[in-house]
Amino acid sequence: MSNHESGLEELADRYPDVPRFIILKLDAQRRGIKLTENAFNAVQEPLYRYGRYSGVKGEETSKGVYPGPLILRDGTTVLTSAAAASQFENPYTIDHVEGKFYIHDNGRRIDEVDFTPRPDYYGKKTSRGVPMESIASARPQRIDIQPYRYCHFWDTQDQCKFCSFFTDLEEQRQLSDEKFPRALNVEDIYETVREALKEPGRISQINLTAGADYSGAVPFDNEVNRYIEVLQAIGRNFSGRFPSQLLAPAYTKKQVKRLYDETGLSSYCPDIEVWDENLFKWICSGKDKVVGRNEWVKRTIDAVEIFGKGNVYTNFVAGVETAQPHGFKTIDEALKSSFEGCEFFAKHGVVYLSLVWRPWKSSVFAGQKQPPLEYYVRLVKGLREIRRAYGLTSDNDDYKHCGNHGDSDLERID
Amino acid sequence: MSILPEELVNLLKDHDSVKILSTTDENGVPHAVAKGSLTTLDGITIAFNEGLDTNISNKNLVRSIWFDKSVAINVTKGGVSYQIKGKPYKCLITGPVYKEFLLKARERRGPDADIAAVWIVKPDEVRNETPAIRRKEEEEKRPFFNRHLDRASIKKTVHT
Ligand code: SF4
Repeated sequence: MSNHESGLEELADRYPDVPRFIILKLDAQRRGIKLTENAFNAVQEPLYRYGRYSGVKGEETSKGVYPGPLILRDGTTVLTSAAAASQFENPYTIDHVEGKFYIHDNGRRIDEVDFTPRPDYYGKKTSRGVPMESIASARPQRIDIQPYRYCHFWDTQDQCKFCSFFTDLEEQRQLSDEKFPRALNVEDIYETVREALKEPGRISQINLTAGADYSGAVPFDNEVNRYIEVLQAIGRNFSGRFPSQLLAPAYTKKQVKRLYDETGLSSYCPDIEVWDENLFKWICSGKDKVVGRNEWVKRTIDAVEIFGKGNVYTNFVAGVETAQPHGFKTIDEALKSSFEGCEFFAKHGVVYLSLVWRPWKSSVFAGQKQPPLEYYVRLVKGLREIRRAYGLTSDNDDYKHCGNHGDSDLERID
Repeated sequence: MSILPEELVNLLKDHDSVKILSTTDENGVPHAVAKGSLTTLDGITIAFNEGLDTNISNKNLVRSIWFDKSVAINVTKGGVSYQIKGKPYKCLITGPVYKEFLLKARERRGPDADIAAVWIVKPDEVRNETPAIRRKEEEEKRPFFNRHLDRASIKKTVHT
């Protein structure tokens, strides 16, 4: 890889068909953001005051709390948190001047931005006295629920090597204690969703994800039962199938069918994380041991028979395929592999989406080098073109629902 | 950016005026639609909602904000008409203004009404297109250009 790294402006000139907003989003995810004191004070206002319970170190300081996801002027959601600023070497800065937020790059003002407003259900408690924001966190148009906040792949050090879920982002261990209980109560989940729905136009999707629990007669049986129970509780708020996504391991066809038949779930996303077979075995050893890479792929495409074309997704952590010592040595090789994965899944009706890799301190890949911004620009452009050729859109992971995927943001004009 | 003329602000806030939004696609093909929700909230910018992310206007608006293209808006009532040219500045997908437009849509069309986004357009140019005013402007500028000589104001009436 060359030493010169092109920045936002240079790449916006070189790739005129990729909007500057999307390049900015990719770079803000790569490099992170931090808040000036003015901006930090401004996000304590009732409109923005978030306060979450994810266990991330520094998320709630004595001076206040960090805001929800960043939103660019074009409506693009950027899933990056200022609470994690210490993880990044050269983050963008968000300032607040005369009632508006602005994003700066090394002192240069780039654009006006905003933060996701605090939803009305934050600050309320369930009938059991549990703060609702500890049950569901809000993005601009969706809520995210993690019914089981522990991943058992970590028990045998088989966690995915980029993973920082359910850690404090600093230490390589799962949190899970009395302050951060593993399992959520389903009635708390039901009541939180019911309360969230009272706010007009606040949510148009519900997402579920959790750590992997492969216990049960058939691996993951217990986890599937848990999800069914949770989805049925959420479903009591709706008259039929509802816009929702489950990010979970690749289950057997029988398990997937149960999820579809017994709940109102509308889409399913078993994440492949990295396409290359050998890299998957190295990076996702837990998934490989319990399911196996080829079986993971097979189960993913089998799920299309149940959920239908375009309703099965699989995310990959873009950039981990360049992690050393086993990863690709050049961007071209890395892109070729990801495009091959996208094409394969697209042919089978599966949406293969990218997420920007951040080598968190609590992950095995801490200290690894991220690919340059240009890799991400070329990647999102290529992925969008492949999926478009197969008539696929990322309805559950578009610009306003997720905030992770530059490639699905590009679909807004397709 | 200038403040909109008072007459235009009144037209924009009047439910009975006709409001047309015109956008263009990637090939420059125009697409004009009536926008009942179009108004101004601050006397400076124009705001309106889009019902669906997949509407042609909405996609054209996204293209405009991404690639720096203009849109045109016409507001008319009775003999008064204004044209505004400007650029989309913000696409709101949540927040108080978004909620305000959604609630208005539900007031008008019932509890199942929905919106996808609220767009804020910053005007670059505002033109009074009221026919009588435009004619007066032109006749002052080019008094002998393209005027039918049989018009009442030109032809001498001969009494026989
Ligand atoms: S399955 Fe992998 S990515 Fe997901 S929580 Fe477990 S270790 Fe992390």
